Amino acid sequence: MHELFQTELTVSELTSLIKRTLEEGFYGLKVTGEISNFRPSSTGHWFFTLKDTNSQISAVMFKGSTWKVDFTPCEGDKVTVTGNLDVYGARGTYQIKCESMEKAGQGEILALLEARKQRYASKGYFDASLKKPIPRQPQRVGVVTSATGAALQDILNVLNRRAPSLDVLVLPAVVQGESSAISIANRIMQANSLLLCDVLIVGRGGGSLEDLLPFSEEVVLEAMHQSEIPIISAVGHEIDWALSDYVADLRAPTPSAAAELVSQGYLDLRQNLKTLKAELKKAMEYRLTLATHQLGKLEARQIHTIIDNREYLLANASQNLINAGQQKIREFQARYQSAVRELQALSPLAILARGYATVQSESGTLIKSKDQATIGEVVRLTFIDGQRIAKIKE
Amino acid sequence: MSFESDVSRIEEIAQKLNKPETSLEESLSLFEEGMRLSKALEKTLTEAKRKVEVILSEDLTEAETTVLE
Repeated sequence: MHELFQTELTVSELTSLIKRTLEEGFYGLKVTGEISNFRPSSTGHWFFTLKDTNSQISAVMFKGSTWKVDFTPCEGDKVTVTGNLDVYGARGTYQIKCESMEKAGQGEILALLEARKQRYASKGYFDASLKKPIPRQPQRVGVVTSATGAALQDILNVLNRRAPSLDVLVLPAVVQGESSAISIANRIMQANSLLLCDVLIVGRGGGSLEDLLPFSEEVVLEAMHQSEIPIISAVGHEIDWALSDYVADLRAPTPSAAAELVSQGYLDLRQNLKTLKAELKKAMEYRLTLATHQLGKLEARQIHTIIDNREYLLANASQNLINAGQQKIREFQARYQSAVRELQALSPLAILARGYATVQSESGTLIKSKDQATIGEVVRLTFIDGQRIAKIKE
Repeated sequence: MSFESDVSRIEEIAQKLNKPETSLEESLSLFEEGMRLSKALEKTLTEAKRKVEVILSEDLTEAETTVLE
């Protein structure tokens, strides 16, 4: 610093000194203030002023960061931003370059939710033992959500595609603002008091933390806890959450995913049917192959008649079956012939022809070992061309 | 209608078809029955005949609805 007093500086030199000092000294900041003079540019950057009662500071948030903010700031919004100080030399101004922005007080809301979560957890509301199974093929699914929201359309579309026979009952609820928690809770109780459906989807599309708060309100959690109808909680997008997710019998990441879960049983059933049909056909084909064997003499025409009479669906497969049958018969013939050859090779006559003889006792028993032939016994020798009588000498 | 009972009937038929003691005569009529059942079931599952209703009253004990689709 000391040297500065003896140096003559250009404006640019001074500015660059200020820039360095400010930018190296003020970074990783977290600043809370009110938004004013909010000017979004057509290129996606946000320019605005952050102020409190006594001061204000220019602020900018570039497109690379604004997309991560889940709300569009309005005049007067109290926000907390993080970022670094940035000096714009050409104008001699400084501003805060924001990297993230959230509504001020979000930390408090999150802490409140966390405390509530702990409380309900210790009350046992989240216990796995309380989770009711979701019916595999429900008759009617109830949907507690906004009648005008995209979530309802998503659910209806998915259900129509995957389980077009499944009835749907919409229980319209206010999902945003003061009265929403009570409205949602009421619909859950209504569905229960009249037993209007055998599974309930409770949810809404994505939104800010505040938008999703009704689904974490105690009245909603209580209504869900008391529900006899199994409930799927479907709040916001994949990354969003609400305490209803914990109390519900099942959590779906999105409303569409809830509809998929509800219709999965129907999809499985369709697949199951397909497999069963294939199995029936295969079993029947096999039976026919067997029958073709047994009725080897039957004309193809006669088999056709049988099949036609039955309006048998695999009619055009029958020729294949007959062919297969004939093929089997040819195989049997070949096996028979080779068996005959084998038998011939094993015939005793064939052995005798090769110069061997058999020894039998007088009674005709074949003598196979020397112990069977006692000394002095009279035996019969059989050659290929006739017999001789012999006597065992030793 | 019960999907489950229909499906188990078809499963039963498939089992019987696979048994050698089932006569050809019998298996043909079993096969017909099985195909008829599974086709009917498939039709029920894939046909768009759902009812979408909206409940009107907020009253917990009233279920007045209107058809949406």
